[in-house]
Amino acid sequence: MTESTRKQWWLDILMLPVGLITFFPFYLIIVNTLKTPAETAKNPISFPSTFNFANYERVFNEVPLLQSFGNSLLITIISVLLMVLIGAMAAYPIVFNASKVNRLIMGYLLAGFLIPFQTTLIPLFELMTTFQLVDKLYGLIVVYMGGSVFVFFLMMGYMRTIPKELPEAAVIDGCSIWSIFWRIIFPLLKPITVTAIIFQTMWIWNDFLAPMLFLNSSSNATLVLQVYKAKGEFAVDWPLFMTLTVIVLIPIFIFFILMQKQIVKGIVGGAVKG
Amino acid sequence: MKLLRSFQYQLFLVPILLFYTVFTIYPLIRSFFFSLTNFNGYSKQYDFVGLANYVKLFKDSAIVSGISYTLFYAIATTILTTIFAIILALILDRNFFTRNIHRAIFFFPSIPSGLILAYVWGFILSPIGSGVMNNLLHGLFGVGPQPWLSDPLLAKLSTILVAVWAGAGWHAVLYLAFLQGIPKDYYEAAAIDGATRWRQTWHITLPLLAPAMTVSVMLLLTGGLKVFEIPFALTKGGPGFETHTITQVIVLRGISEVQFGLASAMSIVFFLIVLVLTYFQVSVMQRREEKIQ
Repeated sequence: MTESTRKQWWLDILMLPVGLITFFPFYLIIVNTLKTPAETAKNPISFPSTFNFANYERVFNEVPLLQSFGNSLLITIISVLLMVLIGAMAAYPIVFNASKVNRLIMGYLLAGFLIPFQTTLIPLFELMTTFQLVDKLYGLIVVYMGGSVFVFFLMMGYMRTIPKELPEAAVIDGCSIWSIFWRIIFPLLKPITVTAIIFQTMWIWNDFLAPMLFLNSSSNATLVLQVYKAKGEFAVDWPLFMTLTVIVLIPIFIFFILMQKQIVKGIVGGAVKG
Repeated sequence: MKLLRSFQYQLFLVPILLFYTVFTIYPLIRSFFFSLTNFNGYSKQYDFVGLANYVKLFKDSAIVSGISYTLFYAIATTILTTIFAIILALILDRNFFTRNIHRAIFFFPSIPSGLILAYVWGFILSPIGSGVMNNLLHGLFGVGPQPWLSDPLLAKLSTILVAVWAGAGWHAVLYLAFLQGIPKDYYEAAAIDGATRWRQTWHITLPLLAPAMTVSVMLLLTGGLKVFEIPFALTKGGPGFETHTITQVIVLRGISEVQFGLASAMSIVFFLIVLVLTYFQVSVMQRREEKIQ
């Protein structure tokens, strides 16, 4: 046993270069935000000779970052909230009101896992145009609601661990089906809700394909979409583009630092059940 | 009374059935319907053309190249990410001073958007002399500039490199969780029998990772087939159509060129590819799990 508890310093030495290489792209974008294009072209790897924050000022002036951040935040929060509610609600009758019909419905919903978003893309585009949902934030949110199927799957697995007697006893006490869900069942789902929130937040916050297709105007762009648009505009100015990248990565970095433990738990929990 | 309660229960299914049917199932059926017509998105007049769109798919060189690159990408990233993730997990499971910082470093690239990360790598792999990679290679080994993103083979390999870099840490976390669940006495028993560390890893650890591998490989394979952002940001699908993805084909032919029929046929073929490959992979790997246990 002593061998496995003793720290093995040779692994520190072995892993040092591997870790540095993995981290290297992040080092690069940070140092190049402080340079001029000429400096970057001359030596992209070096540490900046002077600390020049002009790029940060320019990015904030030229890109509507706060607006895009707000859009990303709004779309993510509302979509995730709705998906969690819709998914949890759907699992409730499937688990506690089991029947042949509900088994069929479960199969129907789980089939959604096998349908790639890409396959539905063209009719979805047609549908969005017909309903005039293109270039509307709530239009994009509606598109994301297909993701409730994944939440439903997680919730269903977790709900099966709740004893059946619990809602039955509540019914005898005169509790309605409606209030049993909201007062008893839903609060018990907290751990799996955290997992669902993390998965769906990372998906929607980072998504590019759906915003690219369904949001056109700059004022509706999400952060990721804004980076895409800027890549065309700043084509030759790498330092400016890197600065935008660093700024856009800050929120996700904070999310990572705060939630690392939960993310890891979520991956493991979600994958084991998946 | 029982009927009323049952009805109240069923009401909870209304929102998901509504959204799912309208935004997933209906489009899937419609996609199939479009694929059999020459509908162009605008004119109300269209005819059934049978399987003509499906035949056309395989005569369109951009599409053929999109399918073959996507398959190559999915398989290559799955294999390489799996190898790196397992090695990484085995190392990160050991006890050393900088373990936690290394876990964070390897894990972090899987958190931001692939589009943004691929743009950063675009800077590193920039083909001109000032590109970071070319700069480094020149400085260290005196090698001249390499066309990382404009040579057909190098471009393909570059997209895979970025995908593996971004994904290995995430999958290592998955394996790590399973490693930590292996009872210590398995190893102690093996050690008493005189098994070396290497043999313990090979005969105890790796077989016990089989369930994790089934899940991880499935996620990698389906994710790989759905790839869009990394090649799009790195190479825009080029040079030519060398790194064109199926998703890009659907967007280009369907949305940009409004060839709804052709792009829908691509969508349906894509659906079948994902279905068949995933089914095949999961059933083979689950049988492997059973054999090990």
